[in-house]
Amino acid sequence: MSSNNITIDGINTTFTPGETIMQISRRIGITKEVDHKIDPQISRFCFHPGLSIAGTCRMCTVEVENAPKLVTSCSTAAVDGMVVHTNSERVKKSRAGVMEFLLLNHPLDCPVCDQSGECSLQEYNFQYGPATSNFCDPKRVYENSTTKRLSKHITLNMNRCIHCERCVRFSSEITQTNDLLMLNRGWKKELTLTDDTLTLISDYQGCLADICPVGALTFNDFRFKKRVWFLSKQNSICDQCSKGCNIEVHYEDDVVYRYIPRYNKDVNNYWMCDSGRLSYHKRQAEDRIYTNSNSNSNSNSKSLSNAILNSNSLLIILATDTSNEEAKTLIDFKNTYSYRLGKTADCYYIGSEDSKLDHLLKMKDQTPNTRGLLNLNISQLYNSNSNSNSNSNSNYDLVILVKNLQTTIDQHLLSMLEYKFQCKELFAFGVFKSDELKLLQSYSFFKELIPGRTTLEKNGSYTNCDNITQTFKKIDALENDKIKAIPTIEEIFTRIFYQDN
Amino acid sequence: MIKMSVIEPILTKYIGKKDYLSIKKVLNEMNPADVIQDVKKSNLRGRGGAGFPTGIKWSVMPVIPKEESKEKSNKEITPITLRYLVCNADEGEPGTFKDRFIIGKMPHLLIEGMLIAAYAIGARVGYIYIRGEFASEYRILKNAIEEAYQENYLGENVFSKFLNTNKNFSFDLHLYRGAGAYICGEETALLNSLEGKRGEPRIKPPYPAKFGAFGKSTCINNVETLATVPAIINIGAEKYAKYGTAKSGGTRLFSLSGHIQNPGVYEFPLSIKLKDLINHCGGVKDGKKLKAVIPGGGSAPILTAEEIDTLDLGVDYDSLAAAGTMAGSGGIILLDETTCIVEAASVLLKFYEHESCGQCSQCREGSHWLARLFHRIEKGEAEMKELDLIEHICSNMSMQTICAFADAVVGPARSSIKKFRSEFEEHIRIKCCPFKKQKEVSHVL
Repeated sequence: MSSNNITIDGINTTFTPGETIMQISRRIGITKEVDHKIDPQISRFCFHPGLSIAGTCRMCTVEVENAPKLVTSCSTAAVDGMVVHTNSERVKKSRAGVMEFLLLNHPLDCPVCDQSGECSLQEYNFQYGPATSNFCDPKRVYENSTTKRLSKHITLNMNRCIHCERCVRFSSEITQTNDLLMLNRGWKKELTLTDDTLTLISDYQGCLADICPVGALTFNDFRFKKRVWFLSKQNSICDQCSKGCNIEVHYEDDVVYRYIPRYNKDVNNYWMCDSGRLSYHKRQAEDRIYTNSNSNSNSNSKSLSNAILNSNSLLIILATDTSNEEAKTLIDFKNTYSYRLGKTADCYYIGSEDSKLDHLLKMKDQTPNTRGLLNLNISQLYNSNSNSNSNSNSNYDLVILVKNLQTTIDQHLLSMLEYKFQCKELFAFGVFKSDELKLLQSYSFFKELIPGRTTLEKNGSYTNCDNITQTFKKIDALENDKIKAIPTIEEIFTRIFYQDN
Repeated sequence: MIKMSVIEPILTKYIGKKDYLSIKKVLNEMNPADVIQDVKKSNLRGRGGAGFPTGIKWSVMPVIPKEESKEKSNKEITPITLRYLVCNADEGEPGTFKDRFIIGKMPHLLIEGMLIAAYAIGARVGYIYIRGEFASEYRILKNAIEEAYQENYLGENVFSKFLNTNKNFSFDLHLYRGAGAYICGEETALLNSLEGKRGEPRIKPPYPAKFGAFGKSTCINNVETLATVPAIINIGAEKYAKYGTAKSGGTRLFSLSGHIQNPGVYEFPLSIKLKDLINHCGGVKDGKKLKAVIPGGGSAPILTAEEIDTLDLGVDYDSLAAAGTMAGSGGIILLDETTCIVEAASVLLKFYEHESCGQCSQCREGSHWLARLFHRIEKGEAEMKELDLIEHICSNMSMQTICAFADAVVGPARSSIKKFRSEFEEHIRIKCCPFKKQKEVSHVL
């Protein structure tokens, strides 16, 4: 084992056989951690860590001593005794050459290009490229693909394409839909849909825009919405399904502009589905309820504490999009209620069955925390299949319902509360839409709706379908005046007890 | 079309014969290692273009484990012994037409050569990847393969009637027609195309000997290389090697075209000098003065007439490499004094622009740029400073890509500007092609 040594930029290290130069340099910190983004040391276009190696852009070439040619660091496996220079004069000249070639036919329409500011071509040309071009011929124009809608999510501008073929490999290796391919050859090579009469069919189209190093494939939802350099970034967790993909939230002021997947090898790898990617719209939707339904009562816990004191039994219903912390608070509340007041109190969750929807990430359960609630020994109120609950047939005067963005309350639940549990008073907590409020108000036992916070507006954790608990943090900038007025579930229910005494 | 050389023909005397003498000799008297040893001794080098020694190519195929080779059960092909022999018949190099000639006139020679090669490397399945445009040759070869199957020269237990020993050898041969891409002559692009993928070269390593067609060990040889093997077996490796030079053994087929008096396919020993070779073929057409020679197919850097005279160049791999060009595919194109070098290079570059597979950045964009630039120079629309740009583009293209295609583009571009710069300058100075101008004038007169 002793003879596996390699020197990269003067740093001597050992390697395991089969490791490529790029992998080693990433491990020892010569190249950046986040390797599908722009890297100043070993530049790359066609290489993406989640895809197979193509070795075609020739941008990651490095100099290996005693080798006649420059080698591509993405595809060259380390050999014992190799001495590698990642930034020598020869390497810089080669990269400058590649940049010159790539920019020959590139439209250089950066002012109106959506990728501008996060474009590999811009970055690497700034670093290596020639400032001027010697090319005097007309540029290549793909007449039919200058602005071509490949689907409702993706727009192609073929003139900007640098033919790295990440997208083609993505559609064959990751989604396995094979809906993109390269037509023709040489400088006429053109990206097209496999069947031109159809659109893209995968559920991961947003990833195409992510992995495209230039502005050839752009995501329609974000297209022309914002210049990327105005965006702030914070890590979070997608709450659209039980997978819990790791994301980066891009926002300016109190508006979220997009979600970008963040690498986590145990959860979502580099990818994320489109419905998750677009789920940020729900947070800032027009019909979200921000204020207490009972407008004349400004201290919302007062009527609740009265109701608690006057009730004989309590039922807490948690939707599966409540965070672990919220659920724990409510369980504590339930225990204290039955312990202090000596009355019956039960806690159940409402949710659906879970299963995988495809070979990648999509899950049937569209809520983030079913597993977390199960781990807290909360059982299901009713099984949607059998439509009958296993719990005792008791009546509850007071019902506390907690739900967030991902679940909707339906008539089935409310009529069950009315007839089966003989509910007299219902307090609803969480994120509701206006039509949900209307539905609630049509029931006489509905008392009050207390608005809540979404994933991005609170601290907490979700436990995903594979039993991985992931925490998320509040994004301070999103806390505008409307949100600031909303207390968290934890705050409300801790306060009630102190008022009780 | 066939022009015999004045020296005793070795390969070409097999025309029309279906007796398969060499393979019978191999199966009766030799074991695979002997065959490889003989081919090594013959100094046979790949006739496709790169000139890699064939014996070494065969010997680097992974060794079949002893127990596996002992059984030699024909029906049960285990994954370890499954390997392919692929014949590269995608002859697309500009100015080369020798493989077409072999397939058209002597298809059985190729089949026999493949049988011997397959026996040597232990392959039981072979493919011939034939260029899509070779329509009649495809039919001829298909017929020949069918004939061979009928005679039990191909298939299960071939030549069982003729064998004295109880050796079993089976070989299945498939014919696959390409779709007309020059790049599929590159061995790994050929494999991709054979597998039904885009014909784009693969990253090496892994080399085909380790990871070839369908992921199995594969040996890829040119048509002429394989067709030469029966002759080597028949006349003996030492005798064959003597026809050539120390490092390049034997004879070779040359395709002569351009301004040559008697164009065609010729067989010459590799020890011949280029000047003599041209004279044997009748010299320059109509007794004109020779201006330049492209010695190894379109990718080979151009040679001036003076270089050929003063260096007294041979046609073997090493002497042409020493002169800064290459023996390539053996396609010799003569250009006489009336030829415009800029136009000739421009035509070649147009071809390469069209045929670049478009994988690597430098080749995709560079071949296009060069073709445009040469076209403008030829039309007299370029500026003087752009001449230096050619070397700039070439230096950024050569030795930078996955396969040798970019270097093939650089070959004619770089050598023509280096050796005929004054002609380029004249184009720019008088703002048109001087040769066309002369032609026009003579036409008017």
